[in-house]
Amino acid sequence: MAKKNQHIEKAILMDDREIEYVWTDNPPQGGMKHTYFTPDRKFAVQFFNKKEDAESPQMKARLENIVGLYNPTLSEEEGGALGNTRETATYFSNLYCWPAALIKSPQFGVVCPVYPPNFFFGKHAVKNGVNLDLAGKDKKSRWFTSRTSKWLTDDECGNFQTMLRLSISLARAVRRLHTAGLSHSDLSSNNVLIDPRTGTCVVIDIDSLVVPGLFPPEVAGTKGYIAPEVLETMELSFDDPGRKLPCAATDLFALPVLLYEYLLRRHPLDGPKIYSTASTEEDEFLQYGPKATFIENPQDTSNRPDDLQVTIHDLGPHLEKLFLQAFVDGMHDPEKRPTAAQWEKALVKTWDLLQPCRNPNCRGKWFILHDLRRPVCPHCGQRIDARDVMHLRLKKPMRGRRGQWQQVGEINLYDKMPLFHWHFVADVYPDEKMQDRSMQAYISHQGEAWYLVNNALTGMLSPKGNLVPVGQAVWLRDGEMFPSCNEQNALLLEAVKG
Amino acid sequence: MSSYVRRLPVYLLLDCSGSMSGEPIESVRQGIKMLVNELKGDPQALETACLSVITFASVAQQTSPLTELMLFKEPKLEASGATALGGALKVLRECIDKEVRKTTENQKGDWRPLVFILTDGLHTDDDEFDRQTADIKTLKVANIIAVGAGPYVEQATLKRITDNVLLMNTASAGDLSKFFAWVSGSIKMSSKSLDAKPGGAIELPPPPQGFTIVP
Repeated sequence: MAKKNQHIEKAILMDDREIEYVWTDNPPQGGMKHTYFTPDRKFAVQFFNKKEDAESPQMKARLENIVGLYNPTLSEEEGGALGNTRETATYFSNLYCWPAALIKSPQFGVVCPVYPPNFFFGKHAVKNGVNLDLAGKDKKSRWFTSRTSKWLTDDECGNFQTMLRLSISLARAVRRLHTAGLSHSDLSSNNVLIDPRTGTCVVIDIDSLVVPGLFPPEVAGTKGYIAPEVLETMELSFDDPGRKLPCAATDLFALPVLLYEYLLRRHPLDGPKIYSTASTEEDEFLQYGPKATFIENPQDTSNRPDDLQVTIHDLGPHLEKLFLQAFVDGMHDPEKRPTAAQWEKALVKTWDLLQPCRNPNCRGKWFILHDLRRPVCPHCGQRIDARDVMHLRLKKPMRGRRGQWQQVGEINLYDKMPLFHWHFVADVYPDEKMQDRSMQAYISHQGEAWYLVNNALTGMLSPKGNLVPVGQAVWLRDGEMFPSCNEQNALLLEAVKG
Repeated sequence: MSSYVRRLPVYLLLDCSGSMSGEPIESVRQGIKMLVNELKGDPQALETACLSVITFASVAQQTSPLTELMLFKEPKLEASGATALGGALKVLRECIDKEVRKTTENQKGDWRPLVFILTDGLHTDDDEFDRQTADIKTLKVANIIAVGAGPYVEQATLKRITDNVLLMNTASAGDLSKFFAWVSGSIKMSSKSLDAKPGGAIELPPPPQGFTIVP
């Protein structure tokens, strides 16, 4: 093998600061850029493979906007996005690997933070006896959602709860881009790294973003994540009016593909249907393009595998509705696809319906309990006793109608379940703006009885109207209602058994 | 679920003639090892790519049948004898016929195979070479990339096999290691990108430094 040839080089940033990086003669290469690292490996220093890209004024303008005006990982006062506070900037810097600076010399390039260590495989990610060395490789999400997951340890693959957690983060990350008018344009299992053990994700390859008002990047996209209309018109020239280019609506195809993969560990278009026997290319083109058929399309079952165990129905009503909207109504009609904000909201609501599986060997470990006529874990078939289920309905006072309440949420209870601010106060959401993420109360399940233990709320009352101070609990009994706290917009809680 | 995954068959046609003995053949051994390890680190490549090795010296033979990466065993390579490149193309066509799945009414077909030919000299089996190259370009059974190493390679000959011809200066350890790194990059890229135009040209990463594309 050739010896590794390397030495320290210096690059000059746009603001004349210098940055050192380790030059090597065989740097890792992506489709567009090659990458070096700073000596401390905290930053990646990337240069373009092609001279045209490095010298393109459009590329430069786009990246300047991405690093500055549209940067959600910098506060407004630090030169980041308008209205961005330090807290939201910190929140989002964990969700994206956002370009930090631009290089002007020796040639135009980009400096990006290196993603945190939990997004690289460690030494024990692979099952014993499997001849595969992944230590140090990045955790592209495909590892966990395809056939390749069978080589990984169960611990590395996480469980249904951790996958739901990182799904919320991804929807939020895409929602933030779209709110600013940006679109990612190449969301895929290669550009979203996930760590299912901790339930976290990070969006990478931010430099092909579509920035409002600027010339869009010419991205090829990744197999399986390209929106059908983009694939269908790919042969047209770049400036043909019929050509569909990556935009927010195409992100809204790729996003649910990823969410579907995370939650169900399969691809929504990969089914048994043969679209053409003329050639593999033709078959594949139709499968992901003009004839793309959702494997769980209820009206057209031609692509449905016969061994589907867990389906979108098992994900609960909020997600089932959106997946149908995205992959049936919106498959070939981009306008009908749910927005990232809708996904975020539905995922958060679904989170509140989680229930731990009682089977210690269940691989999913958690499931969505939404149908009490069939209280069965879809991952392993374990049944739970419907009499042993308790939930809380969250009710918000109706404006102008004293004494009337509107249901705004529902949570499935389990022992030691933590509850937060957004469970007790109307119009508070567990998003980037919510700074207080401390546990306000928790559930205790003892024998047949369920308790809501007050951890930090003031003004919680029992159904009989007695004050429940911090450290004491309300006994939850079927049909009883009580106010959770005395904050403005406090929600009324109703306990419902079975 | 796994049955809906298409495979990407990859054939390596490796010159094992006498001139490759010593450092070059050792570098090829190392190169194959590196290639397999590298591909196993990429989830899409690991999921879809299958690898086969066909060697050619005085005779051509398939030394490793088309195998998924996790089960791939490196072939034993020895360098001696002549350069039966024509014979290698014949073996390639037989193997593709036998090993690559076609799309039928009830089976998802494999991708068009990706073939890398590495040679450091001129073929020695003219008749077979003429027979094989007569229609190989028009049949388009595979996407073929021919790479010539060193001063004894004839560009025009390689061009008869495929339009994708690359030249590297030497069959040195350094160049061969770069060659295998580039093959790995090409396979990874092919496993991710999607051919919008059936039968169109394939996209490959830029060749390594010091390699020239023959126009």
